[in-house]
Amino acid sequence: MLLSIFKVLVFPGLLFLGTYSFLLEFIDRKVYARMQNRKGPPWYQPMADMLKLIGKKVIVPRNAQKFVFAALPTVSLAAVCAAFLCIPVFGSTAITAYSGDLVAVLYLLTIPTLCHFLAGYNSHEVYSTIGAFRTLTQMFAYEVPLFLAFLSPAILAGSWSISGIAAFYMAHPLYTLINIPAFLVSLLASQSKLERSPFDAPEAETEIVGGALVEYSGRYLAFFRATAITELTAMASVLAALFLPFFTGSVWLDFALYLVKTFSIVLVMVLLRATMARIRIDQTLKFFWSILTPIAMAQMILNLLLRGGLGL
Amino acid sequence: MSDYREKNKVVVQIGPQHPSLKEPGSFKITLDGEKVERAVIEIGYNHRGIEKACESRNYIQALYIIERVCGICSHAHTSCFCQAFEEIAGLEVPRRAHYIRGIVGELERLHSHLLWLGVASHEIGFDTLFMYTWRDRELVLDLLARIGGNRVNYGVNTYGGVRRDLEPELMQDILTVCDLLEEKLKYYADLALTETTLIARLRGIGTLLPEDVRKYSAVGPVARAAGIMDDVRITEPYGVFREIAVNGITDDHCDVYGRTLVRVKEMLEAIRLIRIMVKEIPDGPISVRPPRKLPVGESLSRVEAPRGEDIHYIRSNGGESPDRVRVRAPSEANWHGMSHMLEGFQLADVPIIIAAIDPCYSCTDRAIHLIGDGINQLTDWAQIRALSIEQYKARGIDPGSIKIREF
Amino acid sequence: MNTEETILALNKHFPALEAVSNRPLRVFTAFAEPKAFEETLRYANLTLGYHKGKHIIGTDEGENIGLSYIISNDEDVLLVLRERVPKSAPHVHSMGELYPSLMLHEREMVDLFGVQVSGLPEGPRYPLPDCWPDGEYPMRKEWNPAYFNKQTVTYEPPKQEDAK
Repeated sequence: MLLSIFKVLVFPGLLFLGTYSFLLEFIDRKVYARMQNRKGPPWYQPMADMLKLIGKKVIVPRNAQKFVFAALPTVSLAAVCAAFLCIPVFGSTAITAYSGDLVAVLYLLTIPTLCHFLAGYNSHEVYSTIGAFRTLTQMFAYEVPLFLAFLSPAILAGSWSISGIAAFYMAHPLYTLINIPAFLVSLLASQSKLERSPFDAPEAETEIVGGALVEYSGRYLAFFRATAITELTAMASVLAALFLPFFTGSVWLDFALYLVKTFSIVLVMVLLRATMARIRIDQTLKFFWSILTPIAMAQMILNLLLRGGLGL
Repeated sequence: MSDYREKNKVVVQIGPQHPSLKEPGSFKITLDGEKVERAVIEIGYNHRGIEKACESRNYIQALYIIERVCGICSHAHTSCFCQAFEEIAGLEVPRRAHYIRGIVGELERLHSHLLWLGVASHEIGFDTLFMYTWRDRELVLDLLARIGGNRVNYGVNTYGGVRRDLEPELMQDILTVCDLLEEKLKYYADLALTETTLIARLRGIGTLLPEDVRKYSAVGPVARAAGIMDDVRITEPYGVFREIAVNGITDDHCDVYGRTLVRVKEMLEAIRLIRIMVKEIPDGPISVRPPRKLPVGESLSRVEAPRGEDIHYIRSNGGESPDRVRVRAPSEANWHGMSHMLEGFQLADVPIIIAAIDPCYSCTDRAIHLIGDGINQLTDWAQIRALSIEQYKARGIDPGSIKIREF
Repeated sequence: MNTEETILALNKHFPALEAVSNRPLRVFTAFAEPKAFEETLRYANLTLGYHKGKHIIGTDEGENIGLSYIISNDEDVLLVLRERVPKSAPHVHSMGELYPSLMLHEREMVDLFGVQVSGLPEGPRYPLPDCWPDGEYPMRKEWNPAYFNKQTVTYEPPKQEDAK
């Protein structure tokens, strides 16, 4: 019992999530800066930013509903943390694993996006409304390919639990190669979900000032920023668990492998962020629907056929 | 910020304060979804009263003010003003001075276009290119600081010639910087032609067709991107360009992408010109002595500033101060077509379309600066300082003993 | 149509203008009354091919206000046509249908010199701010920036007796 509480709260649960998220955020910003020939922030910068934001004054717009305004950041952070608990970190089984937890994780990870939209809409201000609607439009673009790409390895593995999928691929490592198109699709779709360049039209600083969160300040903004960085960790972990399932059986070695895998995925995401311009929201829609969705659908059909054909 | 809801239309006010605008300007954009339906443009926030100020100062002081019309194209403004003065006075500027003016002018074109490239990439969210171009711009700014003493507003020009000479080591360094920059510029040219997201954001927006260029009298890279060869260095050669021929750069895209290509190619052309000028610069004096008072007369002079054709007008009535000074900066000419360029495109394109004419709001407006607007409470400097001292005292710090200079 | 041809054509049709050129690509003319000026401008635009509007320079000529229109053609000749109106009744017509790009500068004349330009479409003023006091025209010679109170945004010239 005590061990479970320790696992959930400290390691590999929430405290680990917080620390690792700060580390990944630092890596993200430092590598991004070095790619731009700049120095980049020191290692404690994400923590310092969070502490500074928590200490600032909160101003709630007159037309916004106060309770919703205050609740949204907390709800979105809680959703991401709950999702993280189902992802294998220490070993090939998560802290809580049950059949269908992949679907639960996907739903829980959608909540921050909806909270983002509601935050913008609730602020009743021109720029935040435009940002909120762009968030929703972008969700309309990436949701289908993302879900298709995440569910393809599940179909091949015959299990709806992330830990079950990991166990399957541990037994049959070569089948991982079949899922490479889905991996690429989900990388790009994750980049769009996290609203990072080139898909950061909802938060375009030069067009709509700050997007949906323009009226947020103080500790509420701190929580939204915390959601953003924990979401990065969570998405990287899901990608690592589904598409890079190389496990050795020894929990400590698997943990080290987990760190390496998530680190590399974040590096790839930083490369995407640094080398491309921001594309417009209509171009995002076109890109996702005309290029990524067909690939994801093809992958899904292939996996269905293989599952039936291989008789697994 | 008000929004009128007639059917589904929203009026977004961009400016006067906005992250995408480097200087204040107000754009009231009527949106239908994400599409811009109408744009009402209000400029004039940077009006400082320069022309009136010139009328009450003598010519040397007026030159100092004209240099500060703009930080980025300051040399072009002083070259034009000195040219107008020299025309009325009938001065013959020495050849070496023409060459030095030409070198500094082309260096200024380099730094202005690099700045533009950085700002444009920032507007489309491509911060990496922003950092790279501004890093390269530092090389040019260091050179300009060595030539004139200041990174911007380098006072190189004077009536009758230039004030500073170029030593041989400096000229050698200019050539080294040109070599370094040429490599990087070729990389940017390649990037502009092949990077997909860049092309996707810049292609097909802010279109200004050749007949519209004529109607709205756009100048500079905006006109050249529509295929019209509008370059003062070619149509009315002045200074060193009477001896050195310039290859005019035009492009046929007529949109923001065309303007990008024109500017990148112009940078490569500027490097070629600098190399020729450094190689062939003649020896000799760098200035002749100008008169203190100008004879009665008027003149219109033009130079090719980085943003286009810059026109200066001086009218003298025989005294020590000019009777009328008029500056028509190139950015002024490019504003007329702005509403036309914005309509029909999306909100996401508004910042880059505005940035693509390379607006220099300081060049455009030259009016009187006001403090306070009569609507809210007016506080003057002393009251604000007292208020801030009070606030700090409440937190336990006493800044009252700090002496600040009176303005 | 280059410089010499322009001068010949102008002097033939409008000899009162005394068109001169002191250097290539420049043609200067004398001040004219608004009606004659509009005729000349229309002639230059439609017949001589001067369809590019470059600029308008407003000048204070003592009793009158002068507007110098700078226009140019495809050969980049700068032609300066001028009109003159008395300060007490400065009424001119907008040349916006011929030169849409000069409308911004006509607004400038309205704000800075107090010229009343009829025929301008609705639009924001340029370049002075909205709270500028009425009747104050900064570019007229008699307006002294030293008497402008920036705090209260009013022009306070000294009384006549004090000025002596």
